[in-house]
Amino acid sequence: MRKNRFYLSLIIILTMIGQINAKKMENTSEHKGYKIGDAATDFKLKNVDNKMVSLSDYKNAKGYIVIFTCNHCPYAKAYQDRIIALNNKYAAKGYPVIAINPNDPKLVPDDSFEAMQVRAKEKGFTFPYLFDDGQKIFPQYGATKTPHVYVLQKEKGKNIVRYIGAIDDNYANANDVSHKYVETAVDDLLAGKPIAQTTTLAIGCSIKAE
Amino acid sequence: MRKLFILIMAAISLTGFAKTNEKKTTGTNQKHMLKSVNFDELKTIIHKNDNKLYVVNFWATWCKPCVEELPGFMEVNKNYSKDPRFKMVLVSLDLASEMDTKVKAFLLKNNIDVDVYILDDNKRMNEWIPAVDAKWTGAIPATILYRNGKRLEFKEGRLQKNELEQIINKHL
Repeated sequence: MRKNRFYLSLIIILTMIGQINAKKMENTSEHKGYKIGDAATDFKLKNVDNKMVSLSDYKNAKGYIVIFTCNHCPYAKAYQDRIIALNNKYAAKGYPVIAINPNDPKLVPDDSFEAMQVRAKEKGFTFPYLFDDGQKIFPQYGATKTPHVYVLQKEKGKNIVRYIGAIDDNYANANDVSHKYVETAVDDLLAGKPIAQTTTLAIGCSIKAE
Repeated sequence: MRKLFILIMAAISLTGFAKTNEKKTTGTNQKHMLKSVNFDELKTIIHKNDNKLYVVNFWATWCKPCVEELPGFMEVNKNYSKDPRFKMVLVSLDLASEMDTKVKAFLLKNNIDVDVYILDDNKRMNEWIPAVDAKWTGAIPATILYRNGKRLEFKEGRLQKNELEQIINKHL
């Protein structure tokens, strides 16, 4: 009898612990995707030139400026020239821009692969502009909007997330920018210094996926 | 003389949304606000200590899911706006320079009959986004419920009419 009661209490206690843990899991699941210091996944996505591109193709890169962006969003459009400038400045220093369109063209026809090819040609993109076919990569990164930047640094064969956020602090006017967040972050990495501001927030177009 | 007066009144009502601080009436004879504000000014508008439930929706004319959810919001507002404890406010993230053109035309075309503020504070996004809610990633639409400056609900993403009613009923 006493033994039974002991087991019953044990079961109750274990269930309670289980519930506490379950609750903890719920809380953390609110922030999906990568945090600073996480290792980011590589991918194999189709570029506008019909060739497949992976991060691992860039043997000499020190890291990457991965930008989730698209054709239709006014914020993404406002940053097109600045994204080209980022690649032109940092690809040679070891941090090429890799742009990924995360939107489902069924929901946003302007973001179809064919429309991406047209845009890349019109603007003369100097970096790969990849199509997240099936919208499988952006949820792993935790991107929610366009543009949404992830600066990765190669370290012992892994791609470590060092910066998440906006390109700079003024989407509307490139001539009135006070903080070039991505440039500062990459400059810090190149100088071997810790990044002062590792995350920033900006308004963007929500990523459209089913 | 009287005819002239009617004509002037009609002309005023046709101009639609008020350009500045003052409220003006539109053709539908409802009072609207259309004004550009910075975040500090916005806070004084949506954090009033007046016991009202403020339903604040961040949107933009270029944002497809935002535009799609607005008719539902307007229906809800129609049903609840008679309640003195209820107030809906739209916060637009369109460019302030497009207030009198693109935004105004959109509001009139879509019969938006709540106060609309253009949040013209682009360079401080990294301050005001987390101030609105720590969970906000900056994607729109986003809807927040406040009473007396206290945040009661935060929803990032599109809300259906019944979802919006549910969260309003929870707090009204």
